[in-house]
Amino acid sequence: MPGLTFDRVSKEFPGGTVAVRDFSLAIADGEFMIFVGPSGCGKTTALRMVAGLEKITSGTISIGDRVINDDSPRDRDIAMVFQNYALYPHMTVYKNLAFGLKERKMPKDEIAIRVNGVSSMLGIDDLLTRRPAQLSGGQRQRVAMGRALVREPAAFLLDEPLSNLDAKLRAQVRGDLKRLHQRLGITTIYVTHDQVEAMTLGDRVAVMSNGVLQQLGAPQDVYDRPANLFVAGFIGSPPMNLLRAEARGGVASAGDLSLPIADLPDGDVVLGLRPEHLRPATDGQPSMEFQVEVVEPLGDGVIVHGTVSGTLVTAPSGDDEVLPRLAGERAEITTKFEPTLRPSPGERMRLAIAPHHVHVFDGRTGDVIVAAGA
Amino acid sequence: MSMSAEIRDSAGALPALEKESGRDPRSDRFVFSWWHLVLFPLAFLMLIPMIWMIITSLQTLNETRHFPPILVPSSIQWQNYTEVLQRAPFARWFLNTLVVTVVVVAGNLLFCSLAGYAFARIKFFGRDVVFILVLATLMIPFQVIMIPTFIIVRKLGLIDTLGALIVPNLAGAFGIFLLRQFFRSLPIELEEAARIDGASRLGVLFKIVLPLSGPVLATVAVITFLWTWNDFLWPLITIYNPDNMTLQLGLTTFQGAHQTNTHLLMAANVMSVIPVLLLFFVAQRFFIRGIATSGLKG
Amino acid sequence: MSVSVRRIMRSDHVVGWAFAFPAVALIVVFGIVPIVWSALMSFQKTNLLSTPEWIGLDNYRALPKDPLFKTSMVHAFIYAALFVPLSVGGGLFAAVALNRHIRGIRFYRLAVFVPVVVSTIATSIMFLWLFDPNFGLANWLLGLVGLGPFGFFTSSDGALYSIIAMTVWGWIGFDAIIYLAALQGVPNELLEAAQLDGARSWGIFRNITLPLLGPATLFLVVFSTINAIQVFDEIYFLTKGGPGTATYVPVLYLFKLAFEQGIAGYAAAIAYVLLVAILILTVIQLWVGKRMVYYAS
Repeated sequence: MPGLTFDRVSKEFPGGTVAVRDFSLAIADGEFMIFVGPSGCGKTTALRMVAGLEKITSGTISIGDRVINDDSPRDRDIAMVFQNYALYPHMTVYKNLAFGLKERKMPKDEIAIRVNGVSSMLGIDDLLTRRPAQLSGGQRQRVAMGRALVREPAAFLLDEPLSNLDAKLRAQVRGDLKRLHQRLGITTIYVTHDQVEAMTLGDRVAVMSNGVLQQLGAPQDVYDRPANLFVAGFIGSPPMNLLRAEARGGVASAGDLSLPIADLPDGDVVLGLRPEHLRPATDGQPSMEFQVEVVEPLGDGVIVHGTVSGTLVTAPSGDDEVLPRLAGERAEITTKFEPTLRPSPGERMRLAIAPHHVHVFDGRTGDVIVAAGA
Repeated sequence: MSMSAEIRDSAGALPALEKESGRDPRSDRFVFSWWHLVLFPLAFLMLIPMIWMIITSLQTLNETRHFPPILVPSSIQWQNYTEVLQRAPFARWFLNTLVVTVVVVAGNLLFCSLAGYAFARIKFFGRDVVFILVLATLMIPFQVIMIPTFIIVRKLGLIDTLGALIVPNLAGAFGIFLLRQFFRSLPIELEEAARIDGASRLGVLFKIVLPLSGPVLATVAVITFLWTWNDFLWPLITIYNPDNMTLQLGLTTFQGAHQTNTHLLMAANVMSVIPVLLLFFVAQRFFIRGIATSGLKG
Repeated sequence: MSVSVRRIMRSDHVVGWAFAFPAVALIVVFGIVPIVWSALMSFQKTNLLSTPEWIGLDNYRALPKDPLFKTSMVHAFIYAALFVPLSVGGGLFAAVALNRHIRGIRFYRLAVFVPVVVSTIATSIMFLWLFDPNFGLANWLLGLVGLGPFGFFTSSDGALYSIIAMTVWGWIGFDAIIYLAALQGVPNELLEAAQLDGARSWGIFRNITLPLLGPATLFLVVFSTINAIQVFDEIYFLTKGGPGTATYVPVLYLFKLAFEQGIAGYAAAIAYVLLVAILILTVIQLWVGKRMVYYAS
């Protein structure tokens, strides 16, 4: 089966809003691709353009070699699971699943085979005679998936399918989705604003903001080597600490921290420090003074919020300039310690920062200057 | 969203017909659409009787007695209109209709608000039974009650007066139903707060609830106006003296007397239709909402 | 005033009744009482002036033997059988056409809705002239395509159908408004899902939209039928039941009986027969409506 390609795709709505700008990426056959980003970043619009529910303003989308820009939705061999499921309320579950096949003139017995196959795979066979109004949220979601699967499409589109489920169900369905993909191997595009879903489910992740693709890569790569401030601040929970610093002569200074970094050009920079890379300092390491404020034990770790001297920046969205967040003298930092380390509020300590864990970003554009090492 | 905006939203619980429907990826506002070929003839069919009426009203008698019909009059006979006013107590009919309609609308707004509020918010003895009884009258066709109502109105000495047209219609179940439904949708905390502050029930109704009820009051007013202005059967039964007639009734006597004066008849008709059309254009939203709501109630 | 009297006056029961009283009193006097009185009248022989005389079921027994009554009921049936599909179907067609966002849609919507607000008499006058057998625009236009000329309201074969055409014109806008609201209530996502599923425009309309319009259709069919049975104004104004008895309808009959011939008891019986027909239709509506409940939650 062919892969799916975006080639410089843009979408401009009447009225001037540009929802997607110059978007290019190639999805391999059978790949599970995630479009992730905050609300309004264009991920759903990009998805809908693949489905044919939005017209493409410029650029092309192709399945294999075939450009599908002008194909109507029904001709694209694509199935979609909508955020609110869009189940036909006046039809039974069986009829919902069978509808697409019936409209494509499939013979009745073949329809029955397919519908029963999919419904037993998803565990909804006892629901076949019910109507959507009689189902729970999780059941409806599975019916929506079934309706898409029953068509055995070339590509599978999911628009925030877990957002209407409660937390426990969400985790369970996440696992089900992954297993399903491993089993069926259909090319999938999955849209979400939740970066946890993005990290756990995708083969590759496309981080978007303001209609622009910020970074494309495997989840771990995007986590370990964010390409710019936006990705750095968006991926990872608790989020990366972004500290303003000044680089001079290979040393970055922020507050009481002096950090020597190889190949560091002079100028305004932003240091990215992941919470789990901040440890209580032992002698000899570059460190900064840290005043503990709030301690949140998690069970498998401890999240400690505190302040250091310095200024934070807000991760920008899209083309915005990098902005300092607080005007004060102290910056709020989040660290993640081992569960055994539990400082008390008010305690002062020093945090060690290993240079090879630090991401350095251009203070003006937000692009990465020095990527962190392994 | 501010509280009053929320409330206004619950009043417009119907999809806004005045706005345009959802996204259509293929016809993002094309200048030409095949649908024009359907819509234009449809609109034409709907409007042609009225257009033709207006054209005829501006012709001379001779022009009307012409076949094939003259589509463009050679001159505009505005005096047809003044002639109508001279030949029949048209102005009187207009005034009668206006008086009756305004009083009936006002009465409905007042009495149905009071009753609607009581049914919505006040628990009183027999409330639910009485409400069902009121609702039941919505289903009863007029011809069932018209004979006894005639006798009652006669006993009250109102026959052949405007009172006959006003009194029986001062409060209707339609208004009570709409208003009660609306009042129930308002957050009760507003009224409770006002009462704790010392307002009487009457005060709560007039100072808190009614000011928030603009749209539904407008809908009741507009639908009641339309029904009262256009009513024919009841005035036919109760009014005989031409001086007391309403427009609809007067038009029929005019037609009886001027059967062949088509140009005058059309002029009279145009004059009778203008007020309602004007009101319609001004208050479209409420007409449409009122009509669509009567669908929901069914 | 003593405390207890004041307390009673402030009690919800008193206040509630005080608020409701004017409207309820009016409705009772001019609504409930007449309903009951009419029922009683149907068992009487009365001319609205002298004392009525009780005659039991005689009025009702006379109905099936009354040729004029039977004619009027047949006409009511024909009227409904044509008026309902034409106005409801036409309304649906108009609503689908009006459910677009193309330029000028506002104008088209207004144009379709305007006939609804024009009174029955004004409409009748317009069409009286439009359908004039000698000078009317309709005969001229039909002549251009080789049809007619027709007598319309003056023809005993065509009068009823001409009136039906006229009233369909007057009511299509109402049906269109209801359907338009219902169409806009169909979630866009459902239509998109159906597109992806592979349905074409007609398939989507037939399998998704139309069923979801079910409640609106049910309401309009019942409402239009009830309206059709009660038609009066247009008939009275245009033909008075003629030519001959070609357009005789029940309400016209009962009007003449009560107010022209003074046979009010019999008229009341006819009114009650119509009422029963309407109640049956309403019950059917409620029953079918319940079985249709699948509204998306």
